Amino acid sequence: MIKFIFKGLIRDKSRSLLPILVIMIGVFLTVGMTGYIRGFIEDFVDQNARLQTGHVNVVTKAWAENESMMPLDLALLGVDTLLTELQTDFPGYRWSPRIRFGGMLDVPDENGESKKQGPVMGMAVDLLSGNTDEIDRLNLKTALASGHIPREPDEVMIGEELAKKLELKPGDKVTFIGSTMDGSLTFQNLVVSGTIRYGVRQMDNVVMLLDLRQARSILDMEDGATEILGYSKQGVYSDEEAGKVRDAFNAKWSGSEDDFVPVMRRLRDEPTLGYYFTYINSFSGMMIFILILIMSIVLWNAGLLGGLRRYNEFGIRLAMGEEKGHVYKMLLYEALFTGIIGSVVGTAFGVAFTLFLQYKGIDISGMIQGGTMIMPNVIRAKFSPDLLSIGFIPGVIAMLIGNMLSGIAIFKRETAKLIKELEI
Amino acid sequence: MNKKIIEIEDLVKRYPMGEAEFTALKRINLTFEKGEFAGFVGPSGSGKTTILNIIGSLDTPTEGRVSVEGEDVSHLSEKASARLRKEHIGFIFQSFNLLPVYTVFENVELSLLLLKQSAAARKKAVTQALEWVGLQDMARKKPPQLSGGESQRVAIARAIVKRPNIVLADEPTANLDAENAHIIMRTMQRLNEELKTTFIFATHDEKVMQYLKRKIHLLDGYVDKDEILESNTVES
Repeated sequence: MIKFIFKGLIRDKSRSLLPILVIMIGVFLTVGMTGYIRGFIEDFVDQNARLQTGHVNVVTKAWAENESMMPLDLALLGVDTLLTELQTDFPGYRWSPRIRFGGMLDVPDENGESKKQGPVMGMAVDLLSGNTDEIDRLNLKTALASGHIPREPDEVMIGEELAKKLELKPGDKVTFIGSTMDGSLTFQNLVVSGTIRYGVRQMDNVVMLLDLRQARSILDMEDGATEILGYSKQGVYSDEEAGKVRDAFNAKWSGSEDDFVPVMRRLRDEPTLGYYFTYINSFSGMMIFILILIMSIVLWNAGLLGGLRRYNEFGIRLAMGEEKGHVYKMLLYEALFTGIIGSVVGTAFGVAFTLFLQYKGIDISGMIQGGTMIMPNVIRAKFSPDLLSIGFIPGVIAMLIGNMLSGIAIFKRETAKLIKELEI
Repeated sequence: MNKKIIEIEDLVKRYPMGEAEFTALKRINLTFEKGEFAGFVGPSGSGKTTILNIIGSLDTPTEGRVSVEGEDVSHLSEKASARLRKEHIGFIFQSFNLLPVYTVFENVELSLLLLKQSAAARKKAVTQALEWVGLQDMARKKPPQLSGGESQRVAIARAIVKRPNIVLADEPTANLDAENAHIIMRTMQRLNEELKTTFIFATHDEKVMQYLKRKIHLLDGYVDKDEILESNTVES
């Protein structure tokens, strides 16, 4: 009987093609959009973690409360001791002190007079210790647009766009003007060793990258850092794991009322990032739910229309002695079959689309001009094995729900009216 | 004497009509023996289709008792009614009601699929049924490729392929021209004689009536006249 039903299904295109197309499109959108959103989240997280937040970070309580002002006077001190503690207590993480600070770059002309000036965001990381992993973490070799990575303490790298704006090239001399940790004015002559391009406007437009020890010297903050970033040795950010590390660290310092007590935050605790995370995750879940709902409604209606078209067929089958439950069951088998076919094809297209976007990406630089978030200019989708089921199961379920709803009409049919109905 | 396969005692069928009731069948008492070629005749609204519905266990009596193949249809569950139709009753409709996406062979095969017969048994039975109705060469055709007469012959084959004891035919010639109507009736007459299948018609078509061996005249829900016409044979 199942073979008989499937023959009809295959021959009657309106019974198979439309539902398969609906499911295929729905599943394709679910898989494609999920892959795309997931890729976006991963790029977003990875980029932010590498450049700014780490998977977890340690700052002083006072710094955390005034972070937007980058107040150097509220930075961490005794960093070496703290680092040793972190390495002992949380061996699953790598710890890197950094200093973020603001200031201005002055570009002199041949007479030593100011030719151009521009604000910079200084980022001091360990570049010269010889056993640093910051060069790899920041992808400096890949991001290098011109020149070389600093080899001497007075060398700095600056963002490609900043270099264009200030008309700088590798080898040019600049003067950094800023304030020290205790608020004194500081000047430091530096040499541009190279330019970097991250494809992140917020970095490329303002960043000045230099060695941590040189920054400590310029800013007069010996054994200090604005933050210590922690990176999971597994290389992947996990909210849950980062939360455990954060809680364990903060519990150790929970008794202190000192404003300079160190506090740990995970990546998601950063207010704007947290909002984006929640928004994107909710959006992703909502989108899948809406797609299932829409597919179910469309398929329910398609099922109702199909039921009308097949009114005679169901009638004749009932008259010939097929039980209503059996007719309904066969209808659900058909739904399962078309649902599986549509879902397989939709998943295949969705995965192909995801893989295409994983390699090709979509350039959104035009949309994020002037933004303050660190976001990649090119968003790439991300394939993961669960994409194979994320649209497949909802696709089959939507098809079954649609047909289950429309098929209820079979049970409402009165056999006493069959002969009259079939005389049409 | 032949076996009684349908016994109708004091059959009453009422339908609600707003707050009132309409009585479609009023105290009907009839019996049918195996191999009869009978028909309910009468004007529209006389109760022909209603009684066919009840015999076919598609509907239940309001009062009285109707026994088909020993089963009291007034007390059958939906499942048991379906089984009775599946195993013992064939239907022929005015509009043929063939399934257009299936071939002639597959349309006829459907009854046997419901009976879960083996593929070999189905093939043998369907081939034989198509031979009975003279359509053995059209097994692979689909209903839209058939004429009205051919379609109704496929419907006959579908009704008799499972060798039911009873075939119920509601206005089987209404959509056919005179020539095809006679072909259809002669086919059914021959099957009745060869297979001893009981045929019961509901009709007001004179062309059908002239083939009937028993005419039960219904009028406003009553049996007005029950005529036995054993000699009623129409020559081709």
